[in-house]
Amino acid sequence: MALLDVRDLSISFTGYGRTAQVLHGVSFSIAKGERVSLIGETGSGKSVTSKAIMGTLPENATIEGGRIAFDGLDLLALPPAERERLKGSDMSIIMQDPLSSFNPVFRIGKHLDDILRFADRRIGRPSGAQDRKRRIFETLRRVQLADADRVFDAWPHELSGGMRQRVLIALALLHKPRLLIADEPGTALDVTTQAEILKLINGLVDEEGLSLLMITHNLGVVRQTADRVLVMNKGEIVEQGPLAEVFGAPRDAYTRALMAAVPPLYGDRVENQPVSDAAPVLAMRDVSKVYRSGGIWARGEGHRAVSGVTFDVPEGEIFGIAGESGSGKTTVARMLMGLLDVTEGEVVRAPSSPGRRLTQIVYQNPGTSLNPKRTVAQTLAVPLGHIGMDRAAASARMTELMSLVKLPESYLGKYPHELSGGQKQRVSIARALAAEPKVLILDEPTSALDVSVQKTVIDLLLHLRAELGLTYVIISHDLSLMRNFCSRIAIMLRGEIVEQGTPAEVFAAPSHAYTRALIAAIPVLTEAEEALKPTVTEEERAAFLVPTTTLAEEDA
Amino acid sequence: MSAKNLPQTAAEADIETGLPLDSDAPPLSAGYMTWFRFSRNPAALVGAFIVASVILVALFAPLIATHPDHVGAVVDFRNRHMPPSADNWMGTDKAGRDIFSRTVFGFRVSLLLVIGVLGISVPVGSALGMAAGYFGGWTERLIAGFTNVMLAMPPLVMALAIGNVLEPNLTNAMIAITLLWWTWHARLIYRVTRSIVSEDYIEAARLAGASHLHILWREILPNCISVISVKTTLDAAFVILFGATLSFLGFGVKPPTPDLGSMVADGRQFVPEMWWEVLAPGFAIFYATLGFNLLGDGLRDMFDVET
Repeated sequence: MALLDVRDLSISFTGYGRTAQVLHGVSFSIAKGERVSLIGETGSGKSVTSKAIMGTLPENATIEGGRIAFDGLDLLALPPAERERLKGSDMSIIMQDPLSSFNPVFRIGKHLDDILRFADRRIGRPSGAQDRKRRIFETLRRVQLADADRVFDAWPHELSGGMRQRVLIALALLHKPRLLIADEPGTALDVTTQAEILKLINGLVDEEGLSLLMITHNLGVVRQTADRVLVMNKGEIVEQGPLAEVFGAPRDAYTRALMAAVPPLYGDRVENQPVSDAAPVLAMRDVSKVYRSGGIWARGEGHRAVSGVTFDVPEGEIFGIAGESGSGKTTVARMLMGLLDVTEGEVVRAPSSPGRRLTQIVYQNPGTSLNPKRTVAQTLAVPLGHIGMDRAAASARMTELMSLVKLPESYLGKYPHELSGGQKQRVSIARALAAEPKVLILDEPTSALDVSVQKTVIDLLLHLRAELGLTYVIISHDLSLMRNFCSRIAIMLRGEIVEQGTPAEVFAAPSHAYTRALIAAIPVLTEAEEALKPTVTEEERAAFLVPTTTLAEEDA
Repeated sequence: MSAKNLPQTAAEADIETGLPLDSDAPPLSAGYMTWFRFSRNPAALVGAFIVASVILVALFAPLIATHPDHVGAVVDFRNRHMPPSADNWMGTDKAGRDIFSRTVFGFRVSLLLVIGVLGISVPVGSALGMAAGYFGGWTERLIAGFTNVMLAMPPLVMALAIGNVLEPNLTNAMIAITLLWWTWHARLIYRVTRSIVSEDYIEAARLAGASHLHILWREILPNCISVISVKTTLDAAFVILFGATLSFLGFGVKPPTPDLGSMVADGRQFVPEMWWEVLAPGFAIFYATLGFNLLGDGLRDMFDVET
């Protein structure tokens, strides 16, 4: 018998006097010890499904029909108190965001102890402090956290993101649940850390015979963590089946589109962008950046964010700067734009057209890059006015810009909240182009977008480059994207460039161990690609990656 | 809009609001959503009703008052200290004037004070706060320092001092309150501006070549308007109270002009026997203050801002 059985589940939401149905007759089941992945993009209803199973739907949600059976129990018919008792004990959920899930004023041990104490009380088995501490230590060891007592006494900020994610998994495991729900685990983390977290979840499911419902938008993650796959689109499950079947021969058009949108790492589908031998339009010569804290009286070295960075960006190329958080790639981009001064070295810029800046930027977060109180037309009017266009010329140019970024002209009158993430990003690109720069700096331009939207934005950028002869500098942590989008990439680690070259060279034969570790951590779609990834030894990993199992030494 | 009109395929919904994210349904306008939140808030509606009634009464005071002439220097000692009757709905005061009529006109003085004080201190305070938050550096230090010095002065003492030096009348009371009131707006708008300045869209505007004036006026100010309107509405209540306090202490409006605060002060010596002498003006202060407070809280919920 299946451990979890969801039948014809339909859910609607009410807000502002409107009702919208978000789940349409969703049916699936999870057997004991089975790993099931639920794939979907933003708004597909995947998180609503997990909330319905856990019983944590918001008040404005209505279950219109269907049933959820857990080990034979009809969850929707259970009295609230009994339903509550299942939470955290028989089924639990791994929280998504390790960075904001902890209260900074409580120690890690307190977070764990509270959960355990309340869960014990709910199932009517109050426990002593010593007993709970023993069980917590045991759980911390299960998630492979070394020195559990130091972690227990640590403050949240003392733990790296990866360690906090491990603690969040420990929180979910405290009561030895039978069903584990993981909602996008590790998406907020660097790719190398995420890979370790997935390995851990897999190991736990294997060893303890848990059933896993993994909710994710990342198909590479699914390949690593699922026996069976459910593909969800607009509140309906459009395809389900064993992993090999769905990934090998997807039947539904949506699944196929989803898989096609994932940039490949190796194989025939990989694209190589042409390298140019034109003169560099931007260059860095031995550039360093030191942030000094505490004003002019502060002594000491300060924080060295970037050191000795040298590269050329030839005109017409797409130059990629790759690195994980804290690698200094954003600082490099801001120095390129002239928004930050360099401490040492030199930034060489080609002359720009009179009255225009050489560079413009497209930001990472479409939600904050457009002023919520200004229409698209008002936003575009600013750069157009600055380069000296009168009203009539500006209005004609706006129409042109909208067709360049493939948005209907009628969108000129819309406010940002009326646009989707991908549409906002298109407006941001139009705004950058309106100022007529020669170089666009792309700061993680697609990391906040769904994979299918990501593909359309990348295609648009490639098209614009060819049409307008632009040069791009893209900074990103997404190596599979950069493999296909860049003419040349530089890998940054702790403020230095450790490797640079064309993506074809770098991916075929990465020379630096860190590059190998980065590439090896990328979740890919096929076994063939997996086999082509470089290998890294444990010593190399330890030398270059942030530890996720041990606390940093005091002086670090 | 009824649920029937919605496409039933609208599956993509925001988990917080339940609204379709990217569906075929036309997106709700910001105005509609704001009004929806306001109209589901009974306290806010009551507040809006009270404020509207106060403004209407003040505007049409000559038509509403039963004895409009009693607002001036009228003395009718035969009818002094009369309890409420058909002729004098709220009784008469020590000079025999109709308390109801004087209370109605009292709203005018209170609202004049509110308009005078907030009409100057809100633009001045907001402009200083925005400048400090946007430019930073010495501008910020100078404005913040000056604001803090002004905040350190006890407002009542300051107002009494000004009233002592100059003549105690409505204009001087207004000046005294205004001199200190802008500081609260400056601080609030400074804080709001600081958080807006770090948004990507401000940097983008700067990179697009926008001038300081454009960024302050077109990019930052529209994002401050909701905070300013909430704060201004809540402040109206405090200004009415403060003005009444000044008049009560004898530093406000000169007699015989009817002012709610001085009417309470006048009637105070005859309480409790002649309770009606403070009832109407006292209640009027309570009514107006409550109205502005409820409306302000409702607006705060509606715009979802912190003040």
